[in-house]
Amino acid sequence: MKTVEKEIGTILAGTISSITQRSIFSRMGGLAATPVHQLTASDRAAVMQELETSLRLFARSNSSQLIASCARVLNPVAGGGGPAPAVAVSAAGLSPKQFPIEQEKDIATARLEAWSEAVRLGLSKFASVKVATAVSELARNIVFYAGKGVVELRSLQDERGVTGLQIIASDQGPGIPAAQLDEIWAGTYKSQRGMGKGLIAVKKLVDDFQMDTRPGAGTTVTCLFRGEH
Amino acid sequence: MEQELPIIQIRNCLLVSIQTELHDRLALDLQAALMERVRAVNARGVILDVSGVEVIDSYITRILNDIGKSVRFMGAECYIVGIRPAVAMTLIEMGVELDSVSTALNLDLALEKLELLQ
Repeated sequence: MKTVEKEIGTILAGTISSITQRSIFSRMGGLAATPVHQLTASDRAAVMQELETSLRLFARSNSSQLIASCARVLNPVAGGGGPAPAVAVSAAGLSPKQFPIEQEKDIATARLEAWSEAVRLGLSKFASVKVATAVSELARNIVFYAGKGVVELRSLQDERGVTGLQIIASDQGPGIPAAQLDEIWAGTYKSQRGMGKGLIAVKKLVDDFQMDTRPGAGTTVTCLFRGEH
Repeated sequence: MEQELPIIQIRNCLLVSIQTELHDRLALDLQAALMERVRAVNARGVILDVSGVEVIDSYITRILNDIGKSVRFMGAECYIVGIRPAVAMTLIEMGVELDSVSTALNLDLALEKLELLQ
């Protein structure tokens, strides 16, 4: 049976000592003994995360190469060249849904849509509330600070089905000055209308968070909720 | 779109059931109205029922905390009741605090805590 331990072990042999390998696999819990083809998307993500952390630590120079090889083995269909990202999500998915955000009532609309999308994708009740809350925060930021913008929801799928929900909130507003960003991430930012904790809250809620903000040009926040088993 | 939230009096306690989207104007109106009523009826407590609220983000939290603070300044206690489990878990994960209000599972328990049900 092609278990995770066996398949990954073959790749790591010669680079990572068997003792270290054992400790890496034991940190994966039951997943190490699971056959590769039975892994769910979130299992794969968990295994890859563990491997990435450990290989960066133990393998030094050729860690990226090893990580890429591991990703290919765990995710044979998505394959192809280049190092696979930790979560191999294909953006093919279902067609993205866009919601213009211009006034406070749009926040409620976007939030509800996000909620129903999350439920439709099979996310748990708790995860769906998290999705709705994150969208609420991001849409509110658009209304409060940029005036108008767009929230986009994309469901991500691979050959096994839905793997997650991506939220992209973008605006052409004033952007966030660097000094203010420091305060925001430090949790010391005080806003007039809210708590000043919206972005930091979103970052804590989601599985992946990226922000591109340019003073004068606008802000785009991209975040990802992974599907659950 | 003029609207205001009805404030119901139960003995010397005020109850507001939040069933609608809170925004700046509505929240400030509610805060002012509650403070007036607390003074007018010597209310011991204010109870905000959020069981109909499916998502509480940091902005709504700020509003609830602000109302709680102002009610406390008046000498009454502010209870939030009916927070849904998923909402509570989300608030914890976000790291935002509902620290200017007390909480109770439901209206009955809040009234009990305010010693109105004896």
